[in-house]
Amino acid sequence: MRLHQRNIFILPSGHGLIFLGVAGLIFIAAINYAVSLAFGLAFFMVSLFLLSIFYTYKNLHRLQLTALATAPVFCGETILFNISLSRSDSEPAEGLVFEFIGGFLAKAREGLSEPQTFADLLNSENLEIQVSVRATRRGEIQAPLLRVSSVFPLGLARAWSVVDLPLACLVYPRPIPTPLPPAMADPGQSLGLHSKRAGAEEFEGFRDYQPGDPLRQLAWKNMAKGQGMLVKELSEPVSSSLWLNWELFYGLPVEEKLSRLSYLVLRLSQGSSPFGLKIPGVLIEPGIGPAHRSRLLRTLALFESAE
Amino acid sequence: MKRSHHIPNHALIWILLSVTLAILPQVNNLPYDLLLLAGACVLWRLLIHMEVLKFPRKPAKLIAFLIIAISLAYQIQRFGPGLESAASLLTMGFAFKLIEMRYRRDVYIVLSLCFMLVMVALLYSQSAIMTIYLLVCIWAVLTAMVSVNRSARQASPRLAYPLAGKILLQAFPLTIVLFVVFPRIAPLWAVPIPSEGATTGVTDEMSPGDLSQLGRSSDLAFRVKFENTPPPLHSDLYWRGLVLEDFDGETWRRSRSRSAYGAAAQRVDFQFQWEDRVQISGQPLSYNVILEPTHQPWIYALHLAEPVNSNLLRSRNFEIFNSSLVSSRLSYDMRSYPGNRTDVVLLDSVRRRALQLPDDGNSRARELAEELRSSTINDRDFVYAVLAFFQENPFYYTLNPSLLGEDRIDDFLFGTQEGFCEHYASAFAYLMRAAGIPARVVVGYQGAEYNRYEDFLQIFQYNAHAWNEVWLEGEGWVRVDPTAAVAPERVETGVEAALANDPAFREQSLLMSVGLGGIDWINTLRMRLEAFEYEWNRLVVNYDVGAQFDFFQDNLGSSENGTRQKLFLGMSLLLLTVLFVWALSRKRVTVKGGILDSAYLALSEELSHYQLARRMGEGPVDFQDRVVAQLPEISDLMNQFTEIYISAIYGAVQLSEAEEKQGLTQLRQLLKEIKQCLRHIQPVKSAQFTLFKMP
Repeated sequence: MRLHQRNIFILPSGHGLIFLGVAGLIFIAAINYAVSLAFGLAFFMVSLFLLSIFYTYKNLHRLQLTALATAPVFCGETILFNISLSRSDSEPAEGLVFEFIGGFLAKAREGLSEPQTFADLLNSENLEIQVSVRATRRGEIQAPLLRVSSVFPLGLARAWSVVDLPLACLVYPRPIPTPLPPAMADPGQSLGLHSKRAGAEEFEGFRDYQPGDPLRQLAWKNMAKGQGMLVKELSEPVSSSLWLNWELFYGLPVEEKLSRLSYLVLRLSQGSSPFGLKIPGVLIEPGIGPAHRSRLLRTLALFESAE
Repeated sequence: MKRSHHIPNHALIWILLSVTLAILPQVNNLPYDLLLLAGACVLWRLLIHMEVLKFPRKPAKLIAFLIIAISLAYQIQRFGPGLESAASLLTMGFAFKLIEMRYRRDVYIVLSLCFMLVMVALLYSQSAIMTIYLLVCIWAVLTAMVSVNRSARQASPRLAYPLAGKILLQAFPLTIVLFVVFPRIAPLWAVPIPSEGATTGVTDEMSPGDLSQLGRSSDLAFRVKFENTPPPLHSDLYWRGLVLEDFDGETWRRSRSRSAYGAAAQRVDFQFQWEDRVQISGQPLSYNVILEPTHQPWIYALHLAEPVNSNLLRSRNFEIFNSSLVSSRLSYDMRSYPGNRTDVVLLDSVRRRALQLPDDGNSRARELAEELRSSTINDRDFVYAVLAFFQENPFYYTLNPSLLGEDRIDDFLFGTQEGFCEHYASAFAYLMRAAGIPARVVVGYQGAEYNRYEDFLQIFQYNAHAWNEVWLEGEGWVRVDPTAAVAPERVETGVEAALANDPAFREQSLLMSVGLGGIDWINTLRMRLEAFEYEWNRLVVNYDVGAQFDFFQDNLGSSENGTRQKLFLGMSLLLLTVLFVWALSRKRVTVKGGILDSAYLALSEELSHYQLARRMGEGPVDFQDRVVAQLPEISDLMNQFTEIYISAIYGAVQLSEAEEKQGLTQLRQLLKEIKQCLRHIQPVKSAQFTLFKMP
């Protein structure tokens, strides 16, 4: 998306109006006292005002906005949309303010610490900025209209442009803490880290260390060889895999069910037992690991959301 | 409040600096306590910034408000409601706003007020120096504005003042155009004149001591520039102001009944038969005078003068009056006739007025007049005899004469024998009248300082002078200067020479030309500055309705209904628009092969008539395929075009500038051929297309 004459608007700002008002007062004083240079001052202020329109416009002119990929978030968190700024010429663009307007914004801006993002495009050809919006519902969220504005350098005029960038973000259901169903809390299929019992597992291979892995599973020998921190992956001799089932929360509303499932997915991902998901229309075979986790959360996020 | 509304730290220094610079010119106009208070406010804000102090709470604000109210009441009591009071109110409100300044919108108010203060400073002084100072002040204000809007998030905030300076300079051309072109409007309502501008210069009353008071002042009275001719000799530079005819034994007055100068009464009085009373011979002198404000209606000119400007009026004594009080600098053109005779036939009423004397007193002077009268054959001889009396007796020319007793003329002539020009003029006129010769006192200025850099004369207050006019049979009114008999150097070279040893004069003029006259380079520098100041006043400060009219008449011929003005204005605006558009459309493409894009875009534009404009994100090859499929007629040209474009933009080698230009020429040639081909093909109507467009 590129900004140019046709999509940049410019109007005097509040300060600009005060400034013009003062220029008017000075002009009247110049008339009444017949002071030649006071005329000059009033005209000077008008010239400054006109110049500032030009300068402010130039700030946005030829600015190129490109939508970048956005990391998924959970409902209720803040979405940070990534946008890349660039300019075909090397003129600096300063005092740029980005904020989303319209749509679900009134709600989405509540409690947002920084609804506006400020940026200056100085010498760098490219700049990545993040503009935030609160995630109010799960699913695939299209970013609302983005307003780019600037009052730089004198603050007398405000230039703005409203752009519709193809920005989208996946919002997972808000996790609601929920106790593990009794079937899963069963010792044989325990999930807690502390209940892992040595000897009950079989060595399966190495994987990269992740924070939270028990130290005793670290492959110290490999580390001593300089192969980095590896963890011995142990598979539990469990025949039956875990299934996160729609029926676990029988009687709860759909969103509530999704939220609780979302929590359980997070919880179970910390463990090492594979688990699957069974919800109406979708069946995901048991698995483990970050990719599996994302897949499950994505499924939950998009569940019946083809509105 | 959100953080973004707070004042960036680096801006605060500039804001405080602008405020200080804007208040400084008011130093002379404000009482010291208010200035101290304003200074304290600036300091307070600085301390808030350094987190030593806190923002004021409600009680503090109340106290500030009370202080403003009290000081305003005091100011009004002192000066009356007027400019001073308004200026001090503005300054105080401004200073207090400063400590309360917390958010950006407060800054905007403070900075806009800075411009108001700049305007107030201009009301007091429009000198070139002041203007330059105020420009620096505006520069600081602009820098503060830039700083406020420049985010502090930048890794190293760039300096704001170069950008502010750039904007300042760029604002000049339009300002000058507006200044020259914008029609000036007559004042909407009467405004009180600054009381500081109390009447200065020569007054319409002359008692001993009045002019010697002026003689101590080195303020500028007026500047004169002669057109075409070099200025006359110093001894011929008698700038006539007023003619004083009434004498009560102590004071000479212009006219007992007309000291208030009711404009209407004057106007009637000025209607007189100029042609009947004046005989002119010789070449007239043309010159322009820029008079400093005197707050009095009369103005100064050489000899017998005829005003060129229409709003100037002549009195029956050939004085010249402005139609209103000269409350701001006044520029006027004059034509003077050095060779002239006035009132060769004297009216009885005038003769009576010019012979009037108090009935008694000054008996010794009367005796002297009678004694000299009897020893001379005619009036002219008598004049010479009196001048000889001044020359032969030990009269002394001084700014500091002894006080005179009851019979002032007697005491001066036979007692103290020391005085300034008004003593000599007064005594001379008295002796003339006592001898039955019509005589009057003229007050004005004598002499001038010549500035060779701009070829103009400067007349200072210490040039104030009084002399006489005596009516002689067959000659009319003749100028006689008794001071010249006592101190010829006063008239020939100037008051500086005449009073070189007078302590009272030297004391006043230590730093002026007189005191440092001996030091060459300082004198040169001063002359140059004064020359600049003269041009500044002539061209800028005095640019009013009349000057604007003249400007357009001189430069654009006669301005019928202002058509030419409008034309000029229109042309200027057009020029500005063109500059504006040019500045916007100036391309600074740094992309490889960038200049070829223009031809490519032109092609896309051309093909858009056939609903074949290049789509968003469509590559050149796809575009080519789509076009060729639709318009097989231009397939060859299109293929060539795309090939050149692709090799230039996406080729492995970076093209040189010359190669790019060559490529562009080729593309343009191809484009032309494509257009020719397309001429035979009916363009697709867009409406039709839209209707049947498939999703």
